[in-house]
Amino acid sequence: MKYLTIALAKGRLSELSIELFERIGLDCSKLKEKSRKLIFTDDENKIKFMLVKASDVPTYVEYGAADIGIVGKDTIMEDGRNLYELLDLKFGACRMCVCGWKDSKVPSGFIKVATKYPNITRNYFAQKNQTVEIIKLSGSVELAPLCGLSEFIVDIVESGRTLKENNLSVIEEICSISARMVVNRVSLKMEKERIMDIVEKLRQEVSK
Amino acid sequence: MSKWKTHTPDGVFDLLEKECYIKRQVESTIAQVFHSRGYFEIQTPTFEFYDTFAHIEQSQMIKFFDKNGRILSLRPDLTTPIARIFATKYADETLPKRVSYIGSAFRETDAVAGTLQKEFTQAGIEFIGESCPEADAEVIATTIKAFLACGLEKFQIDIGQAEFFKGIMEQAKLDGEAVESLRKLIDQKSFAAVESLVEGYNIKPGIKELILELPNFFGGVEVIEKAKEKPLGKRAGAALDNITEVYSILKDYGFEKYISIDLAMVQGLNYYTGIIVKGFTEGVGFPICGGGRYDNLIGEYGKPVPATGVAIGIERLISALNYNNVEFEAPQVHTLVYYEKERAIAFKIADGLRSSGLCVEVWTGREGAKAYANARGIGGIVKVVDGDTIDIINLNDGEITRTSINDLLGGEE
Repeated sequence: MKYLTIALAKGRLSELSIELFERIGLDCSKLKEKSRKLIFTDDENKIKFMLVKASDVPTYVEYGAADIGIVGKDTIMEDGRNLYELLDLKFGACRMCVCGWKDSKVPSGFIKVATKYPNITRNYFAQKNQTVEIIKLSGSVELAPLCGLSEFIVDIVESGRTLKENNLSVIEEICSISARMVVNRVSLKMEKERIMDIVEKLRQEVSK
Repeated sequence: MSKWKTHTPDGVFDLLEKECYIKRQVESTIAQVFHSRGYFEIQTPTFEFYDTFAHIEQSQMIKFFDKNGRILSLRPDLTTPIARIFATKYADETLPKRVSYIGSAFRETDAVAGTLQKEFTQAGIEFIGESCPEADAEVIATTIKAFLACGLEKFQIDIGQAEFFKGIMEQAKLDGEAVESLRKLIDQKSFAAVESLVEGYNIKPGIKELILELPNFFGGVEVIEKAKEKPLGKRAGAALDNITEVYSILKDYGFEKYISIDLAMVQGLNYYTGIIVKGFTEGVGFPICGGGRYDNLIGEYGKPVPATGVAIGIERLISALNYNNVEFEAPQVHTLVYYEKERAIAFKIADGLRSSGLCVEVWTGREGAKAYANARGIGGIVKVVDGDTIDIINLNDGEITRTSINDLLGGEE
């Protein structure tokens, strides 16, 4: 039997994914050991786990290098790849928001927006027929309005604490985000039974 | 020196002799399968007026201008030009007619992703002027035959029907925007999102459950039976009858083991009007073939004619063959003919060996013939000694055999 490969987004999502996989009976013990290995196997169930950077998960899955991926909806939306998105795993819940100075409003004219998510930002404002200049950053996006780089930012908001401490707040909500199970379009067809079995078990676990 | 002078642009690549040799073998194997069934080849221009391809998403086309300022596009597929031909040059042809093509198609792909190919080779067939299920089954069977002829054994051809989804949407009485959102979610098999979207509309019970189950309607032929139990309207019912019929014809071809069903195949619904086809195999993350029935396309060019066809992605098929360790003939020079003075004799010997099926090079340099032959993996050297005599040098064991030219060429004179 062929090994099924599952790509997990490194970080908190992978911890929660591992917990979930263990509850449906997959052996993730090797994943939990502190090591520098990149691929871990569950030989009994013929499954390989890979830990990859979150933004790379859709890429691995689209090309079929991984059959299954666990990644946030934000990454999926930003990447726009051709995948099956079979399951909402509910964890890692947060919101994609337009944020700015507390009590401000998005004006209808031209604005500058800093973000890690240029595609999501472009689509959102295009839908509202608003012209914006998008400034792509890779982290600490909240700094942008503080130092005058942009008037607004588009970013994921979990607790909102960072915003609050910097006198910023959510101005508009774009959509809600959570971890999703994505599957390669060929893999689902070639390994339907095994993949749908995992999907079904996860679905039951998630809705408990 | 310009920085770009020695590079090729993103998305295109060189094919060196070994890969090229394999590609040509695969192409000619496929062409033989096509020809043996009456699908003879048509060649269309590499670029055409952008207007011809106007039904294709414009950001995917590689465009430029002619000297009159008209927009031109490298062909994004090979079916469209054939549709144009059947409405114009072939408008008076006796139908049905079968044609095939092999050539490059070009798509502008995401510069960020970068690695998807912008130039790729498609080999395909079109069966034009017939709307019966036999025509759909024939193009699918021909594609299966082509895969088998190339040495691919484990693959799966997924069949869907565009009318099935369209029919159900008609029954659900949803507006265009809702249909498009639902189509996207069903295409992603995003069960939860389909459910929350459907909850927001007032859809007849029965139809609602059917839509919720739709993403799950894929797998073996039993999917059709499962779908038949649902409260289907005339249009969706006819789509199921059609797919059943195509399946039973494919059974008569003896090809049912390669066939699977996906009633939730909902990509390209503006284009496809009936059967939709996609092929998969292990080791390649993308479909290796795609196609279906497109009864409305040729009409766009002035003469409505029904048509169906499938295109095989040659590069993807070759990766699948490599993944399955299918062996190919490698380019191989068998003999090197070496001479010092007797040039005319050398040419005669070389041609004589070639006519018996060998690949022969004639040494053009002065020294180093042996080193060259060894480097190129050539098995032997024929050294012209004089007008009648030659030395055959076996490079594997170093043995030298002296013989006459007549003996070597089998005495033909």
